[in-house]
Amino acid sequence: MPRLTRLLSSLSSALGPESARLELKWMKEAAERSSGSLRLPAMVERRLRGEPLQYILGTQPFGALDLLVRPPVLIPRPETEDWTLRLSRLIQPSPERPISLLDLCTGSGCIPLLLCNTWKPGSVNAYGVDISEDAIQLATDNAHRCGVHVPAEMQPRRYPFNTFKPMLANIRDPSFLLSAELRPPFHVITSNPPYISRQDFENLPPSVKGYEDHRALIGDPTVYPEPPCSESGKGLTFYHTIAQLLAQQDILTDNGVVALEIGFNQADDVRQIMQNEGKLPKTEVWRDPWNRDRVVFAGR
Amino acid sequence: MQRGFLQFATALRSRRLLCSRCSRSFLRFQHAEASNDAGLSSPIVKLIEKKVEERNQLQTQVNALEDMGSADSKRLMKQLSESEPFWNAWQDWSRTIQLLRETGALLNDPDPYMRSMANEEYASLQSQVSELLQMTFPTLVVPPSKTAHMSAIMEFKAGVGGSESALFLAEMMRMYLRLAQTFRWKTNVIASNQTENGGVKDAIVEIMGEKAYDTMRFESGVHRVQRVPATEANGRVHTSTVAVVVLPLAEESNAEAPDDLFSMDDIKIEVMRSRGAGGQHVNKTESAVRLTHIPTGITVSMQDERSQHQNRRRAFQVLRARLMDRKLTQEVVDRRDVRRNLVRSADRSEKIRTYNYAQDRVTDHRLGLSLKNLESVLEGDSLRKILDALAKKHQDDLLQEELETS
Ligand SMILES: C[S@@+](CC[C@H](N)C(=O)[O-])C[C@H]1O[C@@H](n2cnc3c(N)ncnc32)[C@H](O)[C@@H]1O
Repeated sequence: MPRLTRLLSSLSSALGPESARLELKWMKEAAERSSGSLRLPAMVERRLRGEPLQYILGTQPFGALDLLVRPPVLIPRPETEDWTLRLSRLIQPSPERPISLLDLCTGSGCIPLLLCNTWKPGSVNAYGVDISEDAIQLATDNAHRCGVHVPAEMQPRRYPFNTFKPMLANIRDPSFLLSAELRPPFHVITSNPPYISRQDFENLPPSVKGYEDHRALIGDPTVYPEPPCSESGKGLTFYHTIAQLLAQQDILTDNGVVALEIGFNQADDVRQIMQNEGKLPKTEVWRDPWNRDRVVFAGR
Repeated sequence: MQRGFLQFATALRSRRLLCSRCSRSFLRFQHAEASNDAGLSSPIVKLIEKKVEERNQLQTQVNALEDMGSADSKRLMKQLSESEPFWNAWQDWSRTIQLLRETGALLNDPDPYMRSMANEEYASLQSQVSELLQMTFPTLVVPPSKTAHMSAIMEFKAGVGGSESALFLAEMMRMYLRLAQTFRWKTNVIASNQTENGGVKDAIVEIMGEKAYDTMRFESGVHRVQRVPATEANGRVHTSTVAVVVLPLAEESNAEAPDDLFSMDDIKIEVMRSRGAGGQHVNKTESAVRLTHIPTGITVSMQDERSQHQNRRRAFQVLRARLMDRKLTQEVVDRRDVRRNLVRSADRSEKIRTYNYAQDRVTDHRLGLSLKNLESVLEGDSLRKILDALAKKHQDDLLQEELETS
């Protein structure tokens, strides 16, 4: 017990007493469950060095799911959980009228997997693309963990269950649509693309900057094409990329919808990008539980 | 024999099942003096008799029915079949009393063989009478519990006594978790606020299973422990308390689905703490949630789960249980306005039990019952006895209430 007290007190000074108590409890539970592979003192030490709790525990709940998390793939955020659940209530596909869904920048696969889990069996074929091999491996592992079928083929098919196919691809590659062998049109396109500006990136907390994939965070990658000068530095490059994809014929069904997570101060810019470049006149902004703008929801 | 019978009659009287007049008349049976059974008209017998009369009237009405298919007839026939158990019990009762009277006449028979036969027979009839009075009739009269199917949520809060109280709370929790296991109920510690030395400051435990609420509900109240804390150097006995509240948990597929207990418009949902820019900028776990039910001012905070979604679900579950508890309590209060109510709604600040370590004794103050061997209460065996006795007392109170108001 005294050792536990010591651990708690060092955690307390790092995180504050309330968070320290809860995090210690979760680490203890994970250590007990791991039957020896995780040891509490080592876990606390890692935490004190600044590693995110989720990587130490190895999992993160997301809606009703318990997903695997592995560095450096981005840890699913509660803001994303909130809007994904909202989307799952807003759209209710059925096995009679199944839909196909594309998640750009899928990371751990959290968004399509939660939708597959919530919607009726046989009502959705979901596809996820990511540039990172670690992410695609993790998304595939998570599909298996959640009991979601990973089909071999690209063509949407009627199964009595929902499916999710993670694929390695670069959405900023001009030949992306062709090379990824995607089968548009999609009824729903979701994305939580990297949106942090270069300036914000420099000031990120060490647990983010030091552990999560920079490609998952930085909204304006330096490689081509350079973002338009007027707004360089706002972290909006991926929204332009996505809008250009959306503007192509037949990627979205006529009544299809798009849900994009955004940074707290990007709502106006992203709405305009969707309307002007994405040719999606109808847009709304959703807020997160902390009352910040978090999603641009768009359609025709 | 004389003494045994006396005890039997007095026992019945003390159970408030026979009035003193009736128990005297029982004694008259003993001496084969009773010539009529007017003396057996204890309140419960009267009540059953009344129900049987009503049933006979129903029977007459049903016999006179012309159109058996009409809605009215169906209703009458349903009522009649529902009153059948009263009729059956009454037949049993009349037959037994008749036999008792006949046997009573033989107790003073000159033939010793006859006398001993009569004695034996008489004793077995007596136990049949008591079975009818104490078991069969009461179960017919007292309406079945409306909460029998409900699971329970137990809330624990350490009270007087600081860390010693928290230590005892942890022991109490283990006691209930063990007990739940013997009932094959599923348990889940929804929230627990641990202290550094292995105590628990407050906790919420979910106990899922048939009759879990009905069995545990009498545990609501203040539990007191008297012992020398492990940390006390000079061996002085401390008194600490733990407050327990047991809430009814209706089966729910979705705790957030509003129904007659609340409407979503009445609920304020708050996330605790700020997350700065939020989203990709932050990977700290901020999952605490607080619900406020505006009309009642009830608030529920939940932070033990790692996801906001789970904390929210749990918070709704607890809110629902608190509102259900309020509703049930209100029903008891409403009934009290109509009837002289004996079944009190539990007073949660009342000291209901003392665990005294020095004397190795547990006392339940409502039962006026002290049990030796504290360990056996903590292990569950004796706790079950206490719970049984509390359930029995509750049943008796309900019966008394029926008798005084029907
Ligand atoms: C903010 S993370 C989102 C992950 C996941 N969807 C979530 O919500 O937790 C962004 C993801 O985009 C991926 N990514 C970055 N650049 C990409 C590109 N050019 N093409 C495809 N994916 C990319 C990263 O690997 C990362 O997994």
